[in-house]
Amino acid sequence: MSVKEAQANWEPKILVFACNWCTYAGADLAGLSRLQYPPNVRVLRVPCSGRVNPQFVIRAFQRGIDGVLVAGCHPGDCHYVTGNYFTRRRYLLMQRLLQYVGVDPERFQARWISGSEGPKFQQVVKEITEQIRAMGPNRKLRDAQ
Amino acid sequence: MKRVGVFICHCGSNIAGAVDCEKVAENAKSFPGVAFSTDYKYMCSEPGQELIKKAIKDHKLDRIVVASCSPRMHEPTFRRCLESGGLNAYLLEMANIREHCSWVHPDDKEKATWKATELVRMAVAKVLKNEPLQRSTIPITKRALVIGGGIAGIQAALDIANAGHIVDIVEKEPSIGGKMAQIDKTFPTLDCSACILTPKMVEAANHPNINLITYSEIENVEGYVGNFDVTIRKKARSVDMTLCTGCGTCMQKCPTKVPSEFEMLMTDRRAIYTPFPQAIPNKPVIDRKNCRYFTTGKCRVCEKICPTKAVDYTQEDELVTQRYGAIVVATGFDLFDHSVYGEYGYGKYKDVITGLHFERLINASGPTMGKIKRPSDGKVPKDVVFIKCVGSRDEAKGKAYCSKTCCMYTAKHATLVREKIKDSNVYVFYMDVRTPGKGYDEFYTRTTDQFGAKYIRGRVSKIYEKGDKLIVRGEDTLLGRPVEVEADMVVLATAMVAQPDAAKLAQMVGFSYDQDNFYTEAHPKLAPVETHTAGVFLAGACQGPKDIPESVAQASAAAAKACGLLSKEEMPTEPIVSCVNEAICAGCGMCVPVCPYKALDLKVIQERAHGKTITRKVATVNSGLCQGCGACTVACRSAALNLKHFTNEQILAEVDALCL
Amino acid sequence: MSDKVKKMQEIAREILEKGEAKVVIGWEKGTHWYLSPPAFIDKPEEVERLVWDDFCHNNLSKYLKDYVNHEGKVAIFVKGCDSRAFNRLLQDKQIERDKVILIGIPCHGLKDQDKAKELGENADIPKAKKCVECRYPNPLVYDYFIGEEKALDEVAAASEARDFSDVEAIETLSPDEKYEFWNKQYERCLRCYACRNVCPACSCRECIFDQTRVGWIGKANNASENQFFALTRAMHVAGLCIECGECERVCPMNIPIMLLNKKLIKDINLLFGPYDAGVDVDGKLPLGHFDKNDPEEFM
Ligand SMILES: Cc1cc2nc3c(=O)[nH]c(=O)nc-3n(C[C@H](O)[C@H](O)[C@H](O)COP(=O)(O)OP(=O)(O)OC[C@H]3O[C@@H](n4cnc5c(N)ncnc54)[C@H](O)[C@@H]3O)c2cc1C
Ligand code: SF4
Ligand code: SF4
Ligand code: SF4
Ligand code: SF4
Ligand code: SF4
Ligand code: FES
Repeated sequence: MSVKEAQANWEPKILVFACNWCTYAGADLAGLSRLQYPPNVRVLRVPCSGRVNPQFVIRAFQRGIDGVLVAGCHPGDCHYVTGNYFTRRRYLLMQRLLQYVGVDPERFQARWISGSEGPKFQQVVKEITEQIRAMGPNRKLRDAQ
Repeated sequence: MKRVGVFICHCGSNIAGAVDCEKVAENAKSFPGVAFSTDYKYMCSEPGQELIKKAIKDHKLDRIVVASCSPRMHEPTFRRCLESGGLNAYLLEMANIREHCSWVHPDDKEKATWKATELVRMAVAKVLKNEPLQRSTIPITKRALVIGGGIAGIQAALDIANAGHIVDIVEKEPSIGGKMAQIDKTFPTLDCSACILTPKMVEAANHPNINLITYSEIENVEGYVGNFDVTIRKKARSVDMTLCTGCGTCMQKCPTKVPSEFEMLMTDRRAIYTPFPQAIPNKPVIDRKNCRYFTTGKCRVCEKICPTKAVDYTQEDELVTQRYGAIVVATGFDLFDHSVYGEYGYGKYKDVITGLHFERLINASGPTMGKIKRPSDGKVPKDVVFIKCVGSRDEAKGKAYCSKTCCMYTAKHATLVREKIKDSNVYVFYMDVRTPGKGYDEFYTRTTDQFGAKYIRGRVSKIYEKGDKLIVRGEDTLLGRPVEVEADMVVLATAMVAQPDAAKLAQMVGFSYDQDNFYTEAHPKLAPVETHTAGVFLAGACQGPKDIPESVAQASAAAAKACGLLSKEEMPTEPIVSCVNEAICAGCGMCVPVCPYKALDLKVIQERAHGKTITRKVATVNSGLCQGCGACTVACRSAALNLKHFTNEQILAEVDALCL
Repeated sequence: MSDKVKKMQEIAREILEKGEAKVVIGWEKGTHWYLSPPAFIDKPEEVERLVWDDFCHNNLSKYLKDYVNHEGKVAIFVKGCDSRAFNRLLQDKQIERDKVILIGIPCHGLKDQDKAKELGENADIPKAKKCVECRYPNPLVYDYFIGEEKALDEVAAASEARDFSDVEAIETLSPDEKYEFWNKQYERCLRCYACRNVCPACSCRECIFDQTRVGWIGKANNASENQFFALTRAMHVAGLCIECGECERVCPMNIPIMLLNKKLIKDINLLFGPYDAGVDVDGKLPLGHFDKNDPEEFM
């Protein structure tokens, strides 16, 4: 495959860190309700959004991901009571830091998606995929390899 | 070499309809570590599971990936399958290619197959780093602790005791009974409170499974569900409980008079006292703050008079530690201090009293023998004003919430005044009348229609004394005009508020409370008697304003939960907990405050360094408390903390595999 | 010799003679006139080495970590920023208050050592940037105190002068320009970890960048790995950085590390309310607690 062809065949890849109790369940519900969204989204299950270390996010960008979404229960609904309040603090800062070093805001996002919000899961990942498809592959923070 | 087996499920056509399962199985063969890969129609079925077990044996597989439906659905199934195939249950990973793939991408088989392949690759990368984990069990101590001996605590204790478990009730006052013991009659049936409460108190006292630990407080709580180690401070009663027969001679002879808290300071008790005649246990305590002997060093009348020589001035507070499997918190409520309201006289007018004072004034064994007499001059009041929502629904000076019981008890009080004082006039100032509940609205209707209480909608703007009358000024908002009532007595329905020490107790036991210091249930709808702390349950008004039927119902619910726990010998624990690498941990303590379950703490360890023994601090995880959320792992910058089954290494491997 | 230096030496001598501490850590004059490296003095007769001048930059508090398992006390000199560093380490439980004797010395604002080197000894050398912006020139904790506290209005003026214009200048760039800027900077990073080693907010026993077995970071010294390092280090000191500027000063490649630190300080103050690290030892850390009413942007 030539470079050109590879570029033409480019499909964005989006990583979703989803907490087991809300967002993962919301994604399951989207499935149960047969709500379609682009196949570019991969869900990585973590117990709680509070488990998502910002280093995982940078790592994904290094390895060539095009977009990252960190998602968990709405504030007040975390299965572990307070996990997502820490998530919120951490990622409010992280998001700004990433933008500060030049990562486009669309590439890193965070959302609260509950277990009953299948449609919201669908809509959010659709939106992000479209945004990122329009922007093209991510080259920033990316490893040479 | 690790040998991974990959099993791709068709789920009939649920998956196979959108994903080329054979191709995914074929692709998986090239992933590092994969020794065997296949697909099958229904992986979760008996033959499907047999297939996995057989492959484990035939191909010497030591870890398994099942690509099928959501792990939220069948993870337990396949874990059991691994176990019966001879592998540790935690050597399983699942790739969700149904809910997260075939069902959401039905029309693009190529892309769906691509995605399924990648999801499997992620799962393989992760499973290569999985470690066998052991589910352990913790023994359950078959003994329950009930904190607070009001009606809620008594009911919870009786239910647990009747189910065959030992229960200790810790009550801070000298007697159990709580507020219900102070109430005269209960709405909506007007049966006498003592008549229905006393038998329950006696039953609790005589129950072979119940121990009453009165005049005692919780000093410290350690441990976790199944094994709470609770230290109880038994305050010195100065009366030997085993010798005292409860004859009460001492209480008659004691020369020191102290305003009785139980009687809302409207009459006196002695320094050696029981709070009320039907107290349980009916054995007195000495109030050392007021006792003449303890304050001046002279007296000892009670000691001399006691026929059994039970009085013992040398007693000291005693600390006892007991282990409990479950805790029911039933510490009840307190009443709002209305002295913040200048318009009601800052609590200075003698004849402006609270609902609880009124309960004592109409009680046959109260300070006035049940004759309604106003406190200032003992006159029988003719014009009585009731004011509702004092401190409730007032965000500025009081509480934002509705205290729920005041509408009904004020209706009750109004009825009782009209019943006892035939020529009386009763006025009730109210914001709303809220009477949901069985027979409640009927009761209220009788209060107005049959007993002729006059309900005036509006706030009272001022009360002031004029001669021996109280002038109550307010506005009738329905008629839109000011009203003024000359009253002999005013009764305030003060808000139900949390106990002053509510937050302290919650912190000690380790559960949460809301902005008003009422205890927070684990879920407002689906877990209303649980707390976020496993093994700790809530009953009664400590969780929020409640009347007696609600308190009792909640107490029985909490008891059922506690019994559910105590009926087991042991409890399985999830091995997915956090663990500390002591070699790395710097003991900085940054992890400690982020744990919602107080599972983290610092401890001191000794080690050899440069030929010396040194001590340093490191974090330690209480695996009985840890619920495996992983918040601490991110708080720890040097990654000294790791969450089993969701380790840093595992998640990084997944990220890498996905980005390939 | 200035009065301050005399006093410094006097106190040091007394402490050593009385055996109150085994060692006194201060500054001395080395080979260059524009450097005043740390001095570790354990004999009373050597206190004359101690100096106090425009180049006593080294934040001495971190050296205390080397003495945790020593018997007896250590005495150190602390400027305002050093005292915040001391508080930081105390907050991270890395040192014990009663094993240290602090000799506070209010700071007049030090000079930029790079500029000094460039301009020569007789030139009018400007103050170091961190010192122009410094809001805590007076030590926050001490057992002994030398000289007079800096007047409060001067401190207040500094606090008004505190500006994030350098951060804001970057914020206004386009994403690509920002990326270009930072890429240029971190391309040069040698990953010598001097910035980390000197930092009083980095109190780890084993830094994750040394944990090869976990594989947080590759050995390769490429721009991507360097950026991972830069961002991660910045997040790790978020809410902990006391603005001593030591990281930037020691960086052999002159990477503007403070621009990352200050960005996080700016955002923490903006999002979670005013906070200065290393001031209140018993206070909660910005990332160690939360407020239910924190800004909500993830709906
Ligand atoms: C004026 C008035 C009239 C009322 N009339 C009626 C009525 O007619 N009908 C009706 O249904 N409801 C009525 N109520 C409501 C009723 O009082 C409550 O529903 C009921 O008392 C709640 O019971 P409880 O056990 O939860 O709390 P409480 O009765 O408050 O009992 C709590 C117990 O816990 C103890 N305790 C507290 N803290 C500690 C601690 N830290 N350690 C150990 N022990 C502790 C207390 O000493 C007390 O004994 C009325 C309330 C008021 C104020
Ligand atoms: S994983 Fe969660 S529950 Fe367990 S110790 Fe860490 S913060 Fe606490
Ligand atoms: S586990 Fe980490 S955060 Fe906790 S004390 Fe140790 S180094 Fe500090
Ligand atoms: S001191 Fe400079 S070169 Fe060395 S690791 Fe830090 S930023 Fe990189
Ligand atoms: S990050 Fe730099 S400025 Fe901040 S405390 Fe560490 S060394 Fe000082
Ligand atoms: S960079 Fe991070 S892990 Fe390394 S020493 Fe600093 S805080 Fe610790
Ligand atoms: S469990 Fe969903 S955010 Fe914590």
